[in-house]
Amino acid sequence: MNEEYLRKLNTCIQCGTCIGSCFSGKVTALNTRKILMEYLAKGKPVKEDDTIWFCVTCYACQERCPRGIPLTDILIEARKELVKEKGLPGRLKNAFGFLAEYSALVPARDEHAKLREELGLPLYHSQFVDGARDEVVEIVRKHLGGVVR
Amino acid sequence: MKFFPGCMIHNRYPGIEKALYYVFEKLGIDISPLEGSSCCPAPSITRSVSSELWEELAQRNLKLADGETVITACNGCFTTLLEVSEKSGTGDVRHVAEFFYTEIGVEELKRYVEKRLPLKLAIHYGCHFFRPSKHKKFTSPERPKMLDELVEVFGAESVDYRYKFMCCGGGGGVRAGATEVSHDLLRRKMDGIVEADVDAIAVICPLCMNQFDNGQKELSELVGEDYGIPVIHYVQLLAIAMGMDVEDTGLERHAIVSHSFIEKLVKGEKVED
Ligand code: SF4
Ligand code: SF4
Repeated sequence: MNEEYLRKLNTCIQCGTCIGSCFSGKVTALNTRKILMEYLAKGKPVKEDDTIWFCVTCYACQERCPRGIPLTDILIEARKELVKEKGLPGRLKNAFGFLAEYSALVPARDEHAKLREELGLPLYHSQFVDGARDEVVEIVRKHLGGVVR
Repeated sequence: MKFFPGCMIHNRYPGIEKALYYVFEKLGIDISPLEGSSCCPAPSITRSVSSELWEELAQRNLKLADGETVITACNGCFTTLLEVSEKSGTGDVRHVAEFFYTEIGVEELKRYVEKRLPLKLAIHYGCHFFRPSKHKKFTSPERPKMLDELVEVFGAESVDYRYKFMCCGGGGGVRAGATEVSHDLLRRKMDGIVEADVDAIAVICPLCMNQFDNGQKELSELVGEDYGIPVIHYVQLLAIAMGMDVEDTGLERHAIVSHSFIEKLVKGEKVED
């Protein structure tokens, strides 16, 4: 656990600004502060909490927190712990599969390549450049070994 | 300068890239594609898995530019490359909107306008264009005005609407990881936009564009909600105002196509010299 983050979270004055700023919290049960308090106070990964994936990482809470607590950054850290435990949710799993195969989280299919051609644009994303794609794929596989199979 | 397309522009909305080259050519600024560049990779979701991966891929992309300024037209690519370049002290990274505003300026841009576009636009900045302010020092973290001023270059009006500064619901992996939540957020945003009675939504990020564009199509299919409001990137608008054929901007290949909007773009108001 990150000591610096813990120290900062402990300066929270419970003003509620973060929760009041959260658009996602208005349409879901996302309660960032609670997630983070539990994650850090208990010193263990957030478990079985899918609401952590409801955060759009808009940084409104972090920007407005009067104590300068980097809420979004901490939430992203907490997600990482969760990914180790439970893997990625929904189509995010596929997206990283694409990154590991095509060097693109959003790869082009034939129709997309064709549209570029119609517009007179070259195909130069690493997905289409042999040496470049291999280079990127190697980096992705090195870091994502356990996450993307 | 080097243009960094990322996945979304290269692989989904290439019309943005075409428009960007057109504008740079008009302005007399040399720009070419950053060949062999990969996924930036997307800041929030990649860091939600591995910060090391995020940094190493971004570093590779930055190195490819070999010291030249990197221009992005995507808030995600901008965030990743900017933050990693600041951290490592390599590379000069700009978002095309703040580059136009700061380096060219609204008054100077006006001189290149051949066709005024007196449209009513709902402007959407996208969260990662202006936050976190630690890295995006060029504008307000609460109510940026840059883009509102930039659309005035060609005579368009930025209409205020409910939830203007709210996220589109496309970021943070929510679109892929929690699709229903992403749709709920989009509906709120769209309800506000519909009330404002605009010609189109103007964005500066292809991820936001995809959320508004394909998201509206999905809402129509899933819940029968037909908003039908077209989405356009600022550089596409600027290119058209500078004389580019509407057809070349790829607008007709978006998921939401409005013929009345396209007509307005084709027509415009010729600027007499
Ligand atoms: S805004 Fe900051 S200080 Fe206020 S409740 Fe949230 S974390 Fe605590
Ligand atoms: S960053 Fe996440 S938790 Fe914070 S306000 Fe935005 S959606 Fe809510």
